[in-house]
Amino acid sequence: MTVLAIFEWMQSTPVAQTIRHSAKLIALLESIHLIGFTLLLGTILMVDLSLLGLGIGRSPASRIARELKGWTAAGLVIMLLSGPVLLSSEAIRCYRTPAFWIKMALLAIAIIFHFTIHKKLVSQEPPAQRQRVRWIACLSLALWTSVALAGKGIAIFQPPEQPITQSPAQLRRPP
Amino acid sequence: MFLLSICQWLDSTRLNAAMRTSNWFFPAFDTIHTLGIVLVAGTIMLVDLRLLGLALRSEPVAALVKRIVPWTLSGFALMFVTGALLFSSEAVKLYHSPAFRIKLVLLALAGLNALIFHLTIYRDASNWDPAAAAPLRARLAGLLSLAFWIGIITAGRAIAYGSGYDLG
Repeated sequence: MTVLAIFEWMQSTPVAQTIRHSAKLIALLESIHLIGFTLLLGTILMVDLSLLGLGIGRSPASRIARELKGWTAAGLVIMLLSGPVLLSSEAIRCYRTPAFWIKMALLAIAIIFHFTIHKKLVSQEPPAQRQRVRWIACLSLALWTSVALAGKGIAIFQPPEQPITQSPAQLRRPP
Repeated sequence: MFLLSICQWLDSTRLNAAMRTSNWFFPAFDTIHTLGIVLVAGTIMLVDLRLLGLALRSEPVAALVKRIVPWTLSGFALMFVTGALLFSSEAVKLYHSPAFRIKLVLLALAGLNALIFHLTIYRDASNWDPAAAAPLRARLAGLLSLAFWIGIITAGRAIAYGSGYDLG
């Protein structure tokens, strides 16, 4: 089974077809997806700011990270649940849109980075070398921001095979 | 009506024509606008969760607010400037969009809630016992704020898809 076949099947499911034809459902799911991301970025921002020495009072980043861990995970779960449902409603277009694959690649890198290098750094006692901490905090913020930017790109850029006949403003409407 | 004529005037300006003919203006500013909202809502929701005792319980509220407010304000500046430009690029359409009106009302309510919180109960925040739950009115303000910001994000998405906003 090819990847395209899986995407075609996703789009053919009744759930995908229902969402595809309901502007309200798309708007609602996008809102949930965005709220998940807000939660994720808000909590990661707090941890990374602490790593950069801009955190709350004198609290170590390790404590902030430990206390916010659950909310970061909640944000990620909300995104990972609403994302595939949104994807199914226009799976074939996403398959042909480079921005979608760029986002998936960045998301995979961001998740792996977060649960390995980043996690190890924030739980480290005593803290790692200052220079290294700064790099990892900045990389973390850059990775998650780029996931969001690529996500916006999915809505903005049409698949290259199709001639662009609509203005980007019109692309925001559901198909 | 007065507001409508302002929107009509905005639609007729040269800046508006320039923004509308550009293929890049809308997506670029929409993206910055969304990132601004994520920054504002993300930082505010953290404070709300703290007030409700659901996150960062070991941090005093006052210390958290003091550190986080500059980030909220920078996000707000991004959101406000890009929002005003996006609005002026299609003022009349947005004037007729119910979702846009709801978003503005919710923004005003969120602002009012934050203002009342800061001017009243928060003044005493440095004396709150970090180990105990925040005062009831502070928890209420946190809960309202969470609801308002979830509403603002949802209404914002609805603007792009809702009725009264037909770009066809």
